[in-house]
Amino acid sequence: MSETDRHGRPAPLRFSWRRVAWGELAVITALAAAALNYLIEARGVSLNPGNLLLLQPTIWLALALWAVLAWGCLRPPPAAAPPESWTDFGRTAAMVLAFVLFILVLEEVGYDIAIWGFVVVALFIGGERRWPWLLLFPPVFTWAVVEAFGWLIPYPFPTSIV
Amino acid sequence: MIDLAAAGSAIAMLAGNPQAWIWMIPGLVIGLVFGALPGISGSMALALVLPATLYMDFLPAIIFLTSVFTGAGFGGSVPAVLMGIPGTSAAVATTFDGYPMSRQGRHNEALGAALIASCIGVMLSYAVLFVLVQPLAEVVLRMGPFEMAAIGIWGLVLLGSIGSSSLAKGLFAAAIGVLFGTVGMNTAGYIRGDMGVSWLLDGVPTIPAMVGLLAASQLFALVNTRFIVANEEDRKISLPRILAGGASVLRRPVTVLRGALIGAGIGAVPGVGASIANLISYGEARRSDPEPESFGQGNVKGVMAAEAANSSSEGGSMATMLALGIPGGGATAILLAAFAMHNVIGGPRFMDENRDVVYAIIMSNFAQAVLLVVVGTAFVFVASSVVRMPLRYLIPCVLVISTMGAFAIEGSHAGPLTLCVFAVLGWLMARNGYPVAAIVVGLLLGKLIETEMLRAWQMAGGEWGEFLNHPAALVIGALMAVSLIWSAWRDWRRARARRVAASAAS
Repeated sequence: MSETDRHGRPAPLRFSWRRVAWGELAVITALAAAALNYLIEARGVSLNPGNLLLLQPTIWLALALWAVLAWGCLRPPPAAAPPESWTDFGRTAAMVLAFVLFILVLEEVGYDIAIWGFVVVALFIGGERRWPWLLLFPPVFTWAVVEAFGWLIPYPFPTSIV
Repeated sequence: MIDLAAAGSAIAMLAGNPQAWIWMIPGLVIGLVFGALPGISGSMALALVLPATLYMDFLPAIIFLTSVFTGAGFGGSVPAVLMGIPGTSAAVATTFDGYPMSRQGRHNEALGAALIASCIGVMLSYAVLFVLVQPLAEVVLRMGPFEMAAIGIWGLVLLGSIGSSSLAKGLFAAAIGVLFGTVGMNTAGYIRGDMGVSWLLDGVPTIPAMVGLLAASQLFALVNTRFIVANEEDRKISLPRILAGGASVLRRPVTVLRGALIGAGIGAVPGVGASIANLISYGEARRSDPEPESFGQGNVKGVMAAEAANSSSEGGSMATMLALGIPGGGATAILLAAFAMHNVIGGPRFMDENRDVVYAIIMSNFAQAVLLVVVGTAFVFVASSVVRMPLRYLIPCVLVISTMGAFAIEGSHAGPLTLCVFAVLGWLMARNGYPVAAIVVGLLLGKLIETEMLRAWQMAGGEWGEFLNHPAALVIGALMAVSLIWSAWRDWRRARARRVAASAAS
């Protein structure tokens, strides 16, 4: 239940380090920092309006909005939904990490091996524990995708086996 | 405006040419399948089937290609509704309400509405084309950078706060999207934000970035969910419900008509086309609705507005291509290439000398729209089985196909890398309540707005007063201002009415 003042109105939220929305603050601060870096780089290229006509006002707007949003992150309103459990977050983060690794090794190990590996890992993260499915589905899917896109795409993509 | 003799000749030409008809259904099916694959665009489908038309006669070849174009126009909306992944940039706005409808178990209705809105959109735009092909093309030629910049800003303003709980979050996301859209070399020749990466000179690859932003924010968020539709009863694929969704379009003619007119008008402008028409149509439907807050939550009118506009932009782009010989985008460029393969040069002379052929192409598109109702319903019926697939299988499959689609678009590792970066960004933004769609809109419109603002700036010699000498841009600006003021006034009245009702109740 939210706190109220002596007139029955919602009391202003008090600052607490534990209540700060650190994740959101980190994301928007990183984006704002990247925008500022972009502005510095663009101004280094040229101060001509042909270079900064849209870019500069947009970055100033983004930085002003960052200040508003960062203030909101320091005093976030009570969450309406229950927070995500660490297990659920871990599973999602593992899927994101698996996808990033899949993209990074595509050219190194070949598209076929990378797709097969990613599908096995993603199925496992998603909760598939039946070994026949884990053994059969990934190679069949990999073969189908490589063959279909090999036919569709006019330029080659590196593969190791298929 | 209609040359009746040429129209009669066109009917005779179609009636006496069975070849013109037999390629229509295969063309629609090819378009539907390619349009539904994330990253594989209608242009790519047209490019792939183009060589097959070399040995056909001219009219059957063009009808086959326009069938692929029509099928792909609707195909993109199928993954947009079922998985929140637009098959093409023209289906971005379809995800805003189509995907929430799917999550609520209303995928049958959403797809039915999208299909019928698409068919009506195609028909209306070709009807406009049939009557106004020449005047429409002449209006398009008068659209300069001032007018184009005004259209771009209009789209951005209408959509800056899509699906966000706070205006600041929506605007921040849109600003970040615009900045992504300005990366690389601009039209004035300045290179910024490329980080020394050669492929970023051309800007951020739009389609992989868009698929990454929208696909990731949906798919990664679903890792702990078993099915797209939680309730098993709602996963049923029901023909009556698909048809009911289609019938609901007929009860909202204003939404569809407005979307079709916006699509035909904007689609006719070269270089703009369906990807912006669907966003502006959606924004206008939301702005003028008595319950704008219901948009983004699964309002079927959002699906109709977006689909009517992206399908009708096909007719608009055909007007420019046929009357002026100017391709509005990749698909019409390939159609012009097909003209050239048959030793035909599109443009005003072709229009004057072969008006019967032009009318035959337009009439065949009416038939395609009717056939799309049948073929599209069958396709939707099959494609809807996606909602029955466990997400632990669907997520890796869609991510892999999106990656391959990104590779296909860029022809290098740049596509998958862009997809990955924007996938992670989309996931992080969506987790924290930022509207990923606003970044996509910013990305799509950022480059257009900068390019047109620069041209306008150069033409005006740095004098913004020159804007006053462009009545069309002034009209667009005035319409934008009036619509914003009207929306703000309506919101204020509604808030006041709520306050009065609350105080009366207490």
